Amino acid sequence: MKNKNQSVFDGLLADNTVLSSCMVISPVIICGDTLRNAEALAMAFTAITLLSVLLCSFIPKRLPYAVKIIIYAVISSLIYIPVRMAAQEFFPGIITRIGIYFPLLAVNSLIVVQTEAKFFRMKRLKMIPALLFYVAGFDAVILITAFIRELLAYGTINNRMVDADTLISGLGQPFGGFIFLGLLCGAYRAVRSLFPAEQSTGRE
Amino acid sequence: MFLINDFIALLAANLILTQALGTSTIFIASGSRRKLVATTLVITLFTTAGAAAAYAVDSLLPSQYSYLTLLCYTLTVSLLYVIFLTVFYFISKERFKSVRRYIHISAFNCAVMGTLFTISGRASEDPALSNIGSYVFAGLEAGVGFVLAALILSAAFHKLNSAKVPAAFRGSPAMLVYLGIISMAVWALK
Repeated sequence: MKNKNQSVFDGLLADNTVLSSCMVISPVIICGDTLRNAEALAMAFTAITLLSVLLCSFIPKRLPYAVKIIIYAVISSLIYIPVRMAAQEFFPGIITRIGIYFPLLAVNSLIVVQTEAKFFRMKRLKMIPALLFYVAGFDAVILITAFIRELLAYGTINNRMVDADTLISGLGQPFGGFIFLGLLCGAYRAVRSLFPAEQSTGRE
Repeated sequence: MFLINDFIALLAANLILTQALGTSTIFIASGSRRKLVATTLVITLFTTAGAAAAYAVDSLLPSQYSYLTLLCYTLTVSLLYVIFLTVFYFISKERFKSVRRYIHISAFNCAVMGTLFTISGRASEDPALSNIGSYVFAGLEAGVGFVLAALILSAAFHKLNSAKVPAAFRGSPAMLVYLGIISMAVWALK
């Protein structure tokens, strides 16, 4: 916990999983190049993370750290199975395109690491809305990133052609993802630094 | 020429620069030489031993149960996690406290799990790679690739975190852009 006065809304902006903590960035960099990929990933991330963290919150806290981490990973791997089946119904073809990044969502840092460091230090009534905002923060970033990258790299929005004059095809590549996310993180920090309250917390 | 070809192949197959796996871990690891050495060694250990375990899972798991692959990989990595913790505890109880941190970071890392899925995917595309030797070699190669990417990042780490970089871009945003430029160079080499 970086700040004792942490609000339940922090996960959305102030302590965003991707932009602030630089966690779960590989799916954003590699698969966040089209809106269809982003929708599938956001849906899977939301279902797996919410259900896993909620179920894991019932694991006794007195267990050794390593045992708890193993149980969290096993629970999220079990939740991944029905989520994958549902995703294949809703997003046929996309799951194959996303490839290894889909199962990797089940062992994301928010479940394996942040549960102990962040969520389970809160009371359950506060943890649930906080978790919702952390998940929403990730979903918002991947959707915004995918929208901009798809528009600029392929000249489409959700696979529909738009009248884009200039295309930057490199944005659809992994290196484009790295550079775009780096610039987005920088812009996010620059905007945050404009607010005096954010500067005084001395984060990052 | 042979070495240059090998070096280019290692870069082109690099999991961080081409697939962004383990990027957040590498940011932590590049901060100091001690962290870099410890994290990269433990991750290499996990990718190599995990690759052998992945071979066992892929060989034993019938294809109609492929949706259980993640669960099986998680269980095998969990087993390795417990084994490594136990082994390090008995090797040196004093050093265990500092080493266990790196084992915790590495066990369920994207770099490790991603490596297992990548190796498995390559083996299913090319049956010639579907043997334990190829799996272990690919696991070791992924670990060495991680070391290489960590070294590339650590070379610029202090400059990217220095006061010369604008405050908003200092640290991880600058490191992401830097990795993007290296990744672009690697992409051009392919």
